[in-house]
Amino acid sequence: MTISRRVFVKSSGLALVSLGLEPLFLGRAVFGSYRPLPSLTGSDRPVLVCLFQRGAVDGLNMIVPHGDPLYYEERPRIAVPQETVVDLDGHFGLHPSLAPLKELWDNKSLAAIHAVGSPDSTRSHFDAQDYMETGTPGVKSTGDGWVNRYCSHDREHAPPGTPFRAVAFGPQLPRILAGSAPSLAIDDLQAFGLRVPQEGARDKLTRAFEELYEGEGTGLLASSSREGFDAIQMLKRADPSQYRPAAGVDYPQGRLGRTLLQIAQLIKSDVGLEIAFADCSGWDTHVNQGSNEGQLAARLRELGLALSAFSRDLGDRMSRVVVLTMSEFGRTIRENGNSGTDHGHATAMLVMGGPVNGGRVLGRWPGLSVEQRFEGRDVAVTTDFRDLFGEVLARHLGAGDLSPIFPGFAPDPQRFLGAIKSL
Amino acid sequence: MRIPLSIATTLTLATSLAAQSPPPAPPAAAMTAHDSALHALNRLAYGPRPGEVDSVARYGVMRWIERQLDPDRIDDKPLEQREHAFKILDYDRGDLAQRFRDAQRERQRMQRELAQTGDSMRPDKIEGPMREFRELGGELQQLAIVRATLSERQLREVMVDFWTNHFNVFVGKGADRFLLPSYIEQTIRPRALGRFEDLLIATAESPAMLFYLDNAQSVAPGSAPPRPFRPFAPFFGRRRFGMNEMPEDRRRHQPTGINENYARELLELHTLGVDGGYTQPDVIEVARIFTGWSIEPPERGAGFVFRDWAHDHGTKHVFGLTFHDDGKDEGVRLLKFLAMQHATMHHVSAKLCARFVADEPPDGCIDAAVAAWQKTRGDIRAVLRAIFTSPDFWSAQVVRSKVKTPFEFVVSAVRAVSADPDTTPRLAQVVARLGEPLYQQPAPTGYAETEAHWVNSGALLARMNAAVALAGGRLPGIDANLDGVIPATTDHSQLIDMVDERILGGTMSVHTRSVILEQLADVADPLQARALAVGLAIGGPDFQKQ
Repeated sequence: MTISRRVFVKSSGLALVSLGLEPLFLGRAVFGSYRPLPSLTGSDRPVLVCLFQRGAVDGLNMIVPHGDPLYYEERPRIAVPQETVVDLDGHFGLHPSLAPLKELWDNKSLAAIHAVGSPDSTRSHFDAQDYMETGTPGVKSTGDGWVNRYCSHDREHAPPGTPFRAVAFGPQLPRILAGSAPSLAIDDLQAFGLRVPQEGARDKLTRAFEELYEGEGTGLLASSSREGFDAIQMLKRADPSQYRPAAGVDYPQGRLGRTLLQIAQLIKSDVGLEIAFADCSGWDTHVNQGSNEGQLAARLRELGLALSAFSRDLGDRMSRVVVLTMSEFGRTIRENGNSGTDHGHATAMLVMGGPVNGGRVLGRWPGLSVEQRFEGRDVAVTTDFRDLFGEVLARHLGAGDLSPIFPGFAPDPQRFLGAIKSL
Repeated sequence: MRIPLSIATTLTLATSLAAQSPPPAPPAAAMTAHDSALHALNRLAYGPRPGEVDSVARYGVMRWIERQLDPDRIDDKPLEQREHAFKILDYDRGDLAQRFRDAQRERQRMQRELAQTGDSMRPDKIEGPMREFRELGGELQQLAIVRATLSERQLREVMVDFWTNHFNVFVGKGADRFLLPSYIEQTIRPRALGRFEDLLIATAESPAMLFYLDNAQSVAPGSAPPRPFRPFAPFFGRRRFGMNEMPEDRRRHQPTGINENYARELLELHTLGVDGGYTQPDVIEVARIFTGWSIEPPERGAGFVFRDWAHDHGTKHVFGLTFHDDGKDEGVRLLKFLAMQHATMHHVSAKLCARFVADEPPDGCIDAAVAAWQKTRGDIRAVLRAIFTSPDFWSAQVVRSKVKTPFEFVVSAVRAVSADPDTTPRLAQVVARLGEPLYQQPAPTGYAETEAHWVNSGALLARMNAAVALAGGRLPGIDANLDGVIPATTDHSQLIDMVDERILGGTMSVHTRSVILEQLADVADPLQARALAVGLAIGGPDFQKQ
């Protein structure tokens, strides 16, 4: 069913005119007809996928500094043994659970950034997540998120007429997407729209609401509902229930795999997606974190498998896609009394995709000795997260002016790490 | 028909009260009694119940407003009965602290178990104290919905919501999981229509706020407790109680310096406003004044305590005032000062006007509110009365110009069909799905009042779904019986007339009417027709506005 109902409305509307029916009908038909669905052939548009590792991932066991004896001294029970680390550059290596990503490292489409984080010293999840999403560390009253500010300031790169420019996967719009630019929260692509089991009845009801809101003419209620109905229509065309990943690609069980599958699907259906956001939780490993096996290993395995499946599923389309992981802070260098780690400062982030200048661990490594630490206990921050996010926005999405996106900061290209290939 | 009955019982009281107040200005001449009653019910209440527009119009809208401004004289027995079903109201702060501790212990035990297997925690597998505590949290949200829906003291419920949001505390932050209920019950609710100054002081002293904005750990640099001081540690031991929210060195040892969070938000959000003319050095001086305002250990009830040893005994200079060492009274004096600053009066009045008048409120109503504030030294009822009697409140541009928040939408929809919310958190989950999970705004700003924050395509679709579910008797968490509101009929025109009159208060647009009529054309079953008409009316654009 790719024939737009608008075609139908238009022709029947004209028929009504010729029959001399009342103008109200005509008015409504015209509203319906002058709004063609955006046609977006843009498979060459850049796409950014942000994954938030909520709970503060232990950067040191994700990207392991196995070349540093202090790492092993401080973590007698939970360090990843040198013989099982997937070595990257002689000093750093991947946790063995992330082995599926090694291939991407080798073909230079994966880079890690170490010692990245916030200039604010808070060790509260809630404050630190807030700061990372608003992009204003230390300022609690910022109302909107940096991704939303990018969307509202950068109209130039907005795919015309799509409701799918910025999509968060989850039941609610996260802070990072809060703000004045339209953005969608989608819990499940297949269930997006009106929840009426029978298709015929659902279509009828959808049309009825669409007509009701067309009566609004202008204003936010009108424009937002229009975006919603366009989204339903476009999704129907893309037919999410029929989606099959590329041959041989299996996403791991669980929410993250399911979400990345849906993001891949949106990218492939060319509905104008520019930024996707998803959460993956379970990183707050205070107790029995484990080393090669255990809690953290299980979460990293899911992450590695999901990212690897996503990359293989998108195939050539990864040439225009960047995946960026982020987490509110890192964890203590020294393991605690419960074989876990407590809230720390800097952590590690990953960037993945064709535009990535990969195969390298980026950022200045501050070292692990006591005097090199932040407050004597945590990995120091040498890269402000806004410099990394700013680089991705500027060099991958082509954002012009970063100063309104990160107010009071102004990311400086001089400080960019080179995570993204120069255009 | 509860309304006329309770009106009758309070009629004499309301009349005598009105005699003490300045004569209320009548609504703009252009407005009918019906329209002004609807407007008042949309703004001072969570929308009309069936028949309520007419009863308020008959009673007299200004008299009804006066009555709402004096809620203690309004009978609210049905709600009081309903509140008995909420266990959370039987527990004090100490009980909840105990239950929270039990839940945390259980959680740790499960985590240790799960760590052995590498599994993650499955929410459906959670039992015992963790489950119980979570259920109490759900009750807290649902209670807000039940009160907003059922209370006859509608304006007070609106103001409770307003102040809860103005003095926002995030329930998800550590100890606030068990501190929030008493914050709502004892700090906000009794003062919602009192004096601003009292409310400001009460929130400053509230354990929930002291924890949320970190003032509980704010101590004078170099100060030392008489004996080892680990806030809350005697009760929670290590790494419990959301102690993870605190830096570990503070957890293990003791707070080491001032924390500016509360001081900053006090000035920026609670009082002067972001452009209120204060500076960073002012923030530091204010933070010094509040050093020592802290929380008792939970086994002693987790109440407010002033710790003299943690207080900065030096002299502070701020806003042209000098504070010599005067313990807790310094903070109280500062709060009283702030409550009467012009910037505060203007900032808070503008927020009230954004709530009651328009997203971008006209200056006239703000100025009227500020004048009343000044004259009465911050009597909230007088400030509200000034807003409700200002011409701006009744102007044509303002009527039905505001989009409902998700909370307002759900509550007004439930009221519109005279449905009865139950005690489960399911209706609160509907509000959350529409984008406004109650008490879960992490930022101290609270939720926004403007339509730009609430209207987006996903949220609108969610409203339509909720409306259709409500009309079809499938909305979780309520007992709805449309028969008493809109009797089923095969006469579609009559059906739409009833929907317009009883649900939309007669505001149905010609367009909406024609669309609904068209949709009903091929629906023969009267129950189906009614569900469709009601669903479209509540999910459509007319009902989104107030």
